[in-house]
Amino acid sequence: MKLIKSALWQLTALCAGLILVFPLIYAVFGAFKTPAEFGAWPPSLLPDSFGNLENFKAVFKQIPMLRYMLNSLITSLITGTVKTLLSCLAAYGFAYYDFRGKKALFFLILAAMMLPADTLILTNYRTVTRLGLIDTYLGICVVSFVGASQLLLLRGELCRLPASLWDAAKMDGCGDLRYLAFILMPMERGILLTLFLQAFVAQWNSYLWPLLVTTRMDMRTVQVGISMLTSAENTNYETVLAGSAAALVPSLILFFVSRKSFTGADASGAEVE
Amino acid sequence: MVAAGVFAKKRFCIKPYLFVLPMLLFAVVFVYYPFFRTFLNGFSLVNAQGRLLRYTGLDNFRYLFGRREFASALGNTLMLTTVNVPVTVVLSLTLAVIAAKKRTLSPLYETLFSLPMAVSMATAALIWKTMFNPTVGIVNRLLGTELGWFESRDTALGTLLTLTVWMGVGFNFLVFLSALRGISPDTVGAAQVDGAGRFQVFWHIRLPAIAPSVVYVASSNAVLALMTSGPVMIITQGGPSRATSTLIYMMYTSGYASGNDSLAACVSLVTFALTFAFTFLLLFLERDKVRGL
Repeated sequence: MKLIKSALWQLTALCAGLILVFPLIYAVFGAFKTPAEFGAWPPSLLPDSFGNLENFKAVFKQIPMLRYMLNSLITSLITGTVKTLLSCLAAYGFAYYDFRGKKALFFLILAAMMLPADTLILTNYRTVTRLGLIDTYLGICVVSFVGASQLLLLRGELCRLPASLWDAAKMDGCGDLRYLAFILMPMERGILLTLFLQAFVAQWNSYLWPLLVTTRMDMRTVQVGISMLTSAENTNYETVLAGSAAALVPSLILFFVSRKSFTGADASGAEVE
Repeated sequence: MVAAGVFAKKRFCIKPYLFVLPMLLFAVVFVYYPFFRTFLNGFSLVNAQGRLLRYTGLDNFRYLFGRREFASALGNTLMLTTVNVPVTVVLSLTLAVIAAKKRTLSPLYETLFSLPMAVSMATAALIWKTMFNPTVGIVNRLLGTELGWFESRDTALGTLLTLTVWMGVGFNFLVFLSALRGISPDTVGAAQVDGAGRFQVFWHIRLPAIAPSVVYVASSNAVLALMTSGPVMIITQGGPSRATSTLIYMMYTSGYASGNDSLAACVSLVTFALTFAFTFLLLFLERDKVRGL
């Protein structure tokens, strides 16, 4: 009896899950359909064959998809790296030193969390224009470098480490940057990887800002690029689904790579002594 | 703060500032400067190059509040937010309750439940646009209807809402799942010994235990919903006849497309105010209600 109940429960959960991800299944299968199949009645879920790559060819003909992927990759790498490094440096300063105005500066950085980035994009657009960063990789990432929550998390981690570690390093004549780069960062690599991946994914998925600061076709990111597949007058929906399916591939890879780090952020950390 | 006091330096030292400076610089240039500039723009006349001409007091706001465009953007945004938050909380919590107990197939449906978070907004918007297309879309075919979901004033906002809820479910499910699994089995066991039913255990033990997660999910979703703009840009362009226009979308069109920085700044300030209002409301509710359960 108990076994049947558990089986039914799991079956229900599985069905709920399949309904939830139906849009994705629909997109992936639809990407392989011919226009005739797509408009056929009654509608079928599966395409006649997965060998029909015409829709994907159409996508690559309409937009330089590989170039967009490259642009997204480069900007996401820059954002992930710079954001994590800046958080490391700041966390180090706040955790190991006392200085005048420390509390005020810490609060100033944290309070930045309260101001949603989307409401600031127009004034930032003016700034980036004035700095001559329109249509540059730096322009696409530069507004995402402040990581207040990352700083908070890292500072907490550093404060948890025993003070003797720092003492010993200082005694051996280890400088601040060397200590940070060769002792602290390897020790905190789990958290750093998590923070890097979060920043990477956020940049990869961003839409509004990259749309604003890119005007040249070849500087668009994937998200902006695929949304150009649909226009008001003439939209070929098989092509749209093929574009979506192509964009899903890296997203799903990222999801499976970073899933652990989104859920188990607290599980990893330093193994001191 | 263990380490800080130990290494206190007596004399002034430039070094700590150098560590903090890079992040501070970016915070000042790309968060604080635009914030104060938005304030200035909202209360001034600004030319098309973005230069401040003169102080105009509340004129911009008076102009903004008088526009029907603004009324619909505000109404739609509030509608999206007030419906999105409870629906997302209930839906993700339900999924988390379904998945809470570890079973043989757990990894499989946990993956399915959290999968929407892998999908970018632009991809999801394109899929929705196709699914709800009146002629080729699957939704009309399955339901046997001939509705223009995004083309009709009655359904456009609701359809957009399904998209925003779907985009949030995956991540919030994970938040609730880890909160539910973090509850000590002893408390639940004790209640069951005392003869509490499933529902009672959930309502009196589990829910209060995960109250902080509920508040977190509610407030983060409220802020996200207030910022809704991407799907509007990709799917509806605010149409039909402003039925899906939102505040950030209006800010974008009035500022970027029409070059009216003052108007855009006012919309932006209204959005700020709403963000604060919703966040504080939820924190307040948490203190008053949830902890008292």
